[in-house]
Amino acid sequence: MELWVGALNLGFLYAFVAIGIYITFRIHDFPDITVDGTFTTGAAVTSVLVVSGTHPLLAVAASFIACSAAGSITALINTRLNVNSLLAGILVMTGLYSINLHIMGRSNIPLLEAPEFFTLLDRVNPGAPREPWIAICLTFIVAASWFAVSFFFKTDFGLSMRASGNNPVMARAAGINVDRVKILGVAFANGLVGISGSLVAQYQGFSDIGMGIGTVVTGLAAVIIGESILKKHSIYVWIGSAIAGSVIFRFMIAIALYAGMNPIDLKLLTAIFVLITLVITARIGKGAGKLKKKHLFAAAMAVVAIIGIFAGMKYGNFSGIIPQKKVRIGVFQVSDNPILSITRDAFLAEMKRLGYVEGENATFLVENANGDLATVNTIADKFLREKVDIVVPISTACTQVSVNKIKDRPVVFATVANPFIIGAGKSDTDHLPNVTGVYGAVPMDKTMEIVRKILPGHLRIGVIWDPSQANSEENVNNLKKALKNHPEVTFVGGNIAGSSEVHQVAASLVHKNINAFVLPTDNIVYSAFESVVKAARSKKVPIIYNDVDHPEGGALAVFGYTYETSGRQAANLADRILKGEDPASIPFERYKETVLGVNLKVAKELGLTIPRDLIDEATVIVDEKGNKKKRDGGPAEGKPAGPVKRLALFQFTDSVVLDVSARGVIDRLKQSGILEKENITIDQKLAHGDFSTAQSMAQDIVSKNYDYIVTISTVSLQVTVNNNKKIPHVFGTVTDPIKAGVAKSFTDHPPNMTGLATPQPVESTVRLMRRVFPNAKIIGMIWNPAEANSEICTLMTREAAKKYGFKLVEVQITGTQEIDEALRSVLGSSPDIFFTSGDTTVSSVIPSIAQKLRQKKIPYITNTPADIDSGAFMCLGADYYDVGLKTADLAIRVIRGEKPSGIPIVSYVPEQLTVNLFLAKEYGITISNDLIKKAVKVVK
Amino acid sequence: MTMIGISGFHKTFNAGTINEVYALRGIDLDIAEGEFLTIIGTNGSGKSTLLNAIAGTFLPDRGTITIGGKDMAKKPDFQRAQVISRVFQNPFTGTAPQMTIAENLHLASLRGKPRYPIFSLSSDRLAGYREEVRMLEMQLEDRLDNTIGTLSGGQRQALTLLMAVMNEPKVLLLDEHTAALDPKSASQVVALTEKFISRYNLTAVMVTHSMQQALELGTRTILMNKGKVIEEITGKEKQFLTVNDLLDRFADLRKQEKLTSEMIEEMRREYL
Ligand SMILES: Nc1ncnc2c1ncn2[C@@H]1O[C@H](COP(=O)(O)OP(=O)(O)O)[C@@H](O)[C@H]1O
Ligand SMILES: [Mg+2]
Repeated sequence: MELWVGALNLGFLYAFVAIGIYITFRIHDFPDITVDGTFTTGAAVTSVLVVSGTHPLLAVAASFIACSAAGSITALINTRLNVNSLLAGILVMTGLYSINLHIMGRSNIPLLEAPEFFTLLDRVNPGAPREPWIAICLTFIVAASWFAVSFFFKTDFGLSMRASGNNPVMARAAGINVDRVKILGVAFANGLVGISGSLVAQYQGFSDIGMGIGTVVTGLAAVIIGESILKKHSIYVWIGSAIAGSVIFRFMIAIALYAGMNPIDLKLLTAIFVLITLVITARIGKGAGKLKKKHLFAAAMAVVAIIGIFAGMKYGNFSGIIPQKKVRIGVFQVSDNPILSITRDAFLAEMKRLGYVEGENATFLVENANGDLATVNTIADKFLREKVDIVVPISTACTQVSVNKIKDRPVVFATVANPFIIGAGKSDTDHLPNVTGVYGAVPMDKTMEIVRKILPGHLRIGVIWDPSQANSEENVNNLKKALKNHPEVTFVGGNIAGSSEVHQVAASLVHKNINAFVLPTDNIVYSAFESVVKAARSKKVPIIYNDVDHPEGGALAVFGYTYETSGRQAANLADRILKGEDPASIPFERYKETVLGVNLKVAKELGLTIPRDLIDEATVIVDEKGNKKKRDGGPAEGKPAGPVKRLALFQFTDSVVLDVSARGVIDRLKQSGILEKENITIDQKLAHGDFSTAQSMAQDIVSKNYDYIVTISTVSLQVTVNNNKKIPHVFGTVTDPIKAGVAKSFTDHPPNMTGLATPQPVESTVRLMRRVFPNAKIIGMIWNPAEANSEICTLMTREAAKKYGFKLVEVQITGTQEIDEALRSVLGSSPDIFFTSGDTTVSSVIPSIAQKLRQKKIPYITNTPADIDSGAFMCLGADYYDVGLKTADLAIRVIRGEKPSGIPIVSYVPEQLTVNLFLAKEYGITISNDLIKKAVKVVK
Repeated sequence: MTMIGISGFHKTFNAGTINEVYALRGIDLDIAEGEFLTIIGTNGSGKSTLLNAIAGTFLPDRGTITIGGKDMAKKPDFQRAQVISRVFQNPFTGTAPQMTIAENLHLASLRGKPRYPIFSLSSDRLAGYREEVRMLEMQLEDRLDNTIGTLSGGQRQALTLLMAVMNEPKVLLLDEHTAALDPKSASQVVALTEKFISRYNLTAVMVTHSMQQALELGTRTILMNKGKVIEEITGKEKQFLTVNDLLDRFADLRKQEKLTSEMIEEMRREYL
């Protein structure tokens, strides 16, 4: 739900971009690329103003004005200097990058603390949930804007604008100053884009220098989608369709993400989509006369080729020569019965653990017949049609249909009481050649032994079941068989045909003076279990039954299988078959794990004592206060048969540092055993460095109600904090959470969040420089001010340099292409040392810098230990694997039940030194032995 | 009284490039108020360029131009549009295809007036436009809300003509405005042209592709060649002239070496 409301809101927020693009591309026939820059300008102006305390609405207005000015410059360059409109847009967009950096003063401004536009909306919120309330407000705002803009284009001036774009010759002949009108139109459009930028920044809670990338294409996609659905000739419809297109576009992205599409492909798909539509509309727009067959054919071939490559990337696997086929696994259950759902979840989780990842190397078709047998058949047919490689029926009904219908591919059943009566085989080893699976009837003999331990002597037991269910009938028969060993026990039965009868039958049994209820597994009885408890309570009749998931439900004792074992065992069988084993040679398996639960609270209420040895045997105990505890004494939230919990591990890009850190998190979580114990699966989320993807991903994580979130990197932290107010969240691999705006101090942070701060050890590094180079004077440095983290590091370097008596020579760059130039300029001031800290632009070309420095014998010192292998002289930095481990430790504390609000943010910099003695020798520098001893890696 | 006065007008396009065209080579022309001038000449002789020069699409390299006694040499087209309106050869040029008939008419009615962001296409005005469109007899009066893109060439050209005159300009420029139409639409548009010119007493300049039209219409005819006016036929002469007489005069011009025989041949092909 939240995902869809979030998509609606993003659609509305980007609607102004769509309108702006509509005005430039369609009304003025002026393909304006400036918007990639002005979107960020809008965000930049707003965030600076809002942080300084300006009213958010004024900030929006200021963004509109600033962006209009930028847009008018593009149009001026085009009209006055006769520069092609695309080129003019590119020029201004490029220039705006610097201007935006100047406005912001750094690359990323958080707004979480400042009162922004949406907090204003919150203030007038009559009590609705936040996102839907924003949606309601935005609906009105966007509708008003739609009306205003459309009306504007009906006024005399608006008509002139439309005429100027539609037919400039005619417009001029009608006395319209086309150039002036165009300048105003492009300015207005960019102003609208600025409004979007402003609102998006306030909505996502920060501005970032890179957030405008792709604005043109997404806006154009919105316009094109809108045009393809609404065809009427009217300015209201046109503007409205741009807005609708914007919303639909965001929904398409949400659906793609929801469906588990790899976000890498989103931009490519969008671009191809826009391209195809542009080509088609251009051809049709120019009239059929110009539609040359040859061109169309070429375009069609190009499109087919692109889609082919895309499909190849998505479905094939380019890393191998033979595309690795995805296995298709059909899983279905007859109903929502908890036993079946537990089996299914355990099966899916185990498959994942075994390396079958949805969307990557496996496709899971998971179906549920919702209690309808006809649907069970339909699903089996569907599996055949969809050519699944293996069918996993969960429940007797699904298995029965499967063994009858499916002969040509493997079937692995799970949670079946008796596979032999449905024709799956004669014995565990003698069975249908394509079928194997996991089964087991509830062990009624063992259940009776437990009953007898608690209630010895003469006993009348009441049993309720629905005889129309084969499983129940079978269970009751087993119970009767077991009773042969207990001659003192009398069986008093009561049949039901629906859950509404359970209470009445239970009451009548109580009336017949039974001493206990023994209830073998029966879906209907269990679904109305409370009415049995009520009936039993009047005469203090104890209940023993097989639903191990609910020992606290009022029964005295529970005994049975955890159906997770069924799912897990089935997954392992499926894995063996998928790896090539023949199902004919795999014997049927019985369930392996049983659970005994005793409820001491009920025992006390009934005045019964449960024998000590039984309590010792129990794996789940409900104590006298009603608290459920697992055997080891910890809180039983992660009860063995509980549902699978999910942890989202959310990473912004796949840089080396972040990857290493993520690996640390995963390794520690696995080693600790908490994943199995608490039944947690990890979903890795990677936004590939794209801000709007990160935003949608955070919304997706929240809407899917993950149980825990671990973020790695500053951006994933920021977007998550902004979207998530309740899911426990642990962050790591963040330089400065306070500067990132997510916390006021290490102890004052959102109650559901805590984490690790890992600043680069800049000061220690500079101290080290002083120690190794007592006579050095000048440190050279190149850095990219667009990187927030790099900026922080540079500020720290300035201070440390002063403290240790160095002069710092800095040169700023905006991209790797400028590094050569910058390096030459730094070398011009003959530095004694060259230093790089936390700058990813520079880090990406460390080997080439190191090589040039080596020619001049200048030691290169960095804050990333691994740089020693790329030719650095000496590195002192955080071990990000270790940071990942520590992040996981915090996560484990939270999973164990500690409240994040009570865990302060930790500053953790596991310093690691690496030294290149080979270079030291070459440069004639001696490095003391104790330093060499400290280093974790020494290149010789 | 002189309405349009042009003297010593020179224009070169793309000067200094390989695409250089010396399009107008010293034009001197005096068009009196109420006069209806027709222009003939071979392809590329500069007829359209001369109309553009009057309209102000470009400014002269040398020479002067006055309209209604006012110096226009430095005024761009959209400023001259207060007094000048025009109809182009291509029916697509004179109207905005994605806008409705009413919106196009409204834009034309604002010619020479400021355009504010206010809504003034009221129902009164709409009714007025409907009456004017009815006069075209093109069955457009009930389609004011249709976009121009849905109209035929003849309908567009008639509408363009209406848009050109509805604000009573001083000067009407017509550039082969019936050339792209089928004969029936062409004669309808010609009839409308004459009707409007006489009703509003306009000073008109019309480039034509038909010698017959040149002789029948207007008060004076000029012949252009290579960016110059090389011959002039006054109204009195026109009354008695036939197309054959006109061709004889071309033969005379050839003797004076103002025209080559290929050009006469080309005129024959184009105009007959
Ligand atoms: N804007 C312009 N740029 C360059 N050349 C032009 C321009 N307008 C007209 N010309 C050239 O001037 C010459 C006269 O053209 P034009 O006046 O259109 O001839 P016509 O008499 O057929 O109407 C042609 O060679 C044409 O290519
Ligand atoms: Mg012409």
